[in-house]
Amino acid sequence: MVRLIWQELKFRRNAIIGWGLGLCFFPLVYIGIYPSVADEMAGLADLEIYQAMGMSLGTFSDWIGSILILFMPLIAAIYALINGTGTLAGEEEDGRLEMIVTLPLRRWQIVIAKAIALIISTLVIFLFVSLVSAIVFLSIENQIETDLVAMDIVFAVMSAWPLVFALGMLSMFLAAFSASRRAAAMIAAAVLIVSYFGDNLANSTTALEPFEPFFIFTYLDSTGRAVVEGQQTGDVLVLLGVGVVSLLLTLFFFERRNLTVGNWPWQRARAET
Amino acid sequence: MSEKVIETKALTVYYGKHRGIVDVDLTVEKGEVFGFLGPNGAGKTTTQRVLVDVIRPTSGEARIFGMDCREQSVAIQERIGYLPGELALYNNMRARAFFEMLEYLRAGNGHKGYWRELAGRLELDTSRKIREFSRGNKQKVGVVAAFMSRPELLILDEPTSGLDPLVQQTVLELVREAKADGRTVFFSSHILPEVQAVCDRVGIIREGRLVETERVEDLVARRMKRLSLIFPEPPPAGVFDLEGVAELERAAQGVTLEVRENLPQVLATAAQHDVSDIETHNVSLEEIFLAYYGKRNGGNDG
Repeated sequence: MVRLIWQELKFRRNAIIGWGLGLCFFPLVYIGIYPSVADEMAGLADLEIYQAMGMSLGTFSDWIGSILILFMPLIAAIYALINGTGTLAGEEEDGRLEMIVTLPLRRWQIVIAKAIALIISTLVIFLFVSLVSAIVFLSIENQIETDLVAMDIVFAVMSAWPLVFALGMLSMFLAAFSASRRAAAMIAAAVLIVSYFGDNLANSTTALEPFEPFFIFTYLDSTGRAVVEGQQTGDVLVLLGVGVVSLLLTLFFFERRNLTVGNWPWQRARAET
Repeated sequence: MSEKVIETKALTVYYGKHRGIVDVDLTVEKGEVFGFLGPNGAGKTTTQRVLVDVIRPTSGEARIFGMDCREQSVAIQERIGYLPGELALYNNMRARAFFEMLEYLRAGNGHKGYWRELAGRLELDTSRKIREFSRGNKQKVGVVAAFMSRPELLILDEPTSGLDPLVQQTVLELVREAKADGRTVFFSSHILPEVQAVCDRVGIIREGRLVETERVEDLVARRMKRLSLIFPEPPPAGVFDLEGVAELERAAQGVTLEVRENLPQVLATAAQHDVSDIETHNVSLEEIFLAYYGKRNGGNDG
């Protein structure tokens, strides 16, 4: 199984480099320009449009929270979604999974290997972005007023990882359950978008408050408080729990069902006649 | 006593309401080359996929080396090589990297680097990326992947599909060599002359049911005969209208018949009309196969 994990990581090598470099756009640009926009941002602190998007920009901590704990993970979640749905349903649809499942490995080992590869790849991306963030922060530290230190920035970035883990595992489950990459990606994307806007709008309107626990972004604090003090332990546990339960469901469904290998046989027979 | 390598009992697969295979009882013995015949949708691929645990049976059982195909799939898969009918490969990899990856994932099979010899025999350029390959070359990659660990059992779904005739012969040589090594081959094919050339036994599957399992030579000898009967005067039309007998050709002094049943009556009728000569012709497996599927006059369509 270790060999399959290593192989899966090799398959993801280019994606890790590409997404890691791409996500560094956030710290390089948004932390880099902060000294020049700090005064303007302080004046925008209470704008409702920003609140509706979950943003709070008044202080450097708020700014870091909005950019690095909210937007960067939002984009990173797309990587997890693409990877999570592609790793089982994508390979199943194009037929490559047939070769993998006929290797001398149990199906649960295949799922675990792919899940571990997805987890490691997201962790590497987050570590890379967090280190770049810390370096950019150190380069502007003397131009801004803040009590934060470089390690706070590293922890702030890493604190958003459980959300990406949860969405990655949820995507894997949807892929294992539906055997359709398109269906799994659509549902996972809907979860991502609805819970992002739902959580933010729930902060602005009481009508959505009853649904707030169902929005996954509810469990990610992207305010300046989280940058300083870290995420709430309960929230982290909820996100990790969603990820673990999704992984267990993936194992359950993938272990028990047939692989479709592109089309079901009667669909192939129909296509051939 | 012969050793059963593959054994299925009442093996049935339904995809929802759709029939896959029904009550397939099949035995393949050690060292045998077994050909699995049937048209598209008959259930050949379904049977093979149950054996490699890609598909789970609705009922019945499937065993390889005496082990349950689902419960002991890992122990089985260590000893088998599989070529899927719908081969899908990692297109961004070079063929060499693909074989090295399989070797790495199938750690400890003891035949490291054997893929190089196979690729050489099939004239496959392993330095090229798989996406650059033609269909035939991709099929060669699949063949090498199936044979590269020198498995005890090869399960091959149309192994010569898409290959040129010369390479087809090389693949059939590989099958013969596997048999000579005492290994077992279970393969499906639409190319019936090649099945006839390499198989010891064949199974014919129709609409999900195994309708015949027999040694190739017995099947050819027993199931159908073609007779040319020469007469001084042509016998009246319809004289050979018997169950299992079809008149293929009528000439001035002769009649050509395809006989699957009632041979004694045919000979008796011929004798009544003073038959002067009888010629028997070899019937190919393909003709027998077509007869099973009612594609010829006199086929029983059953």
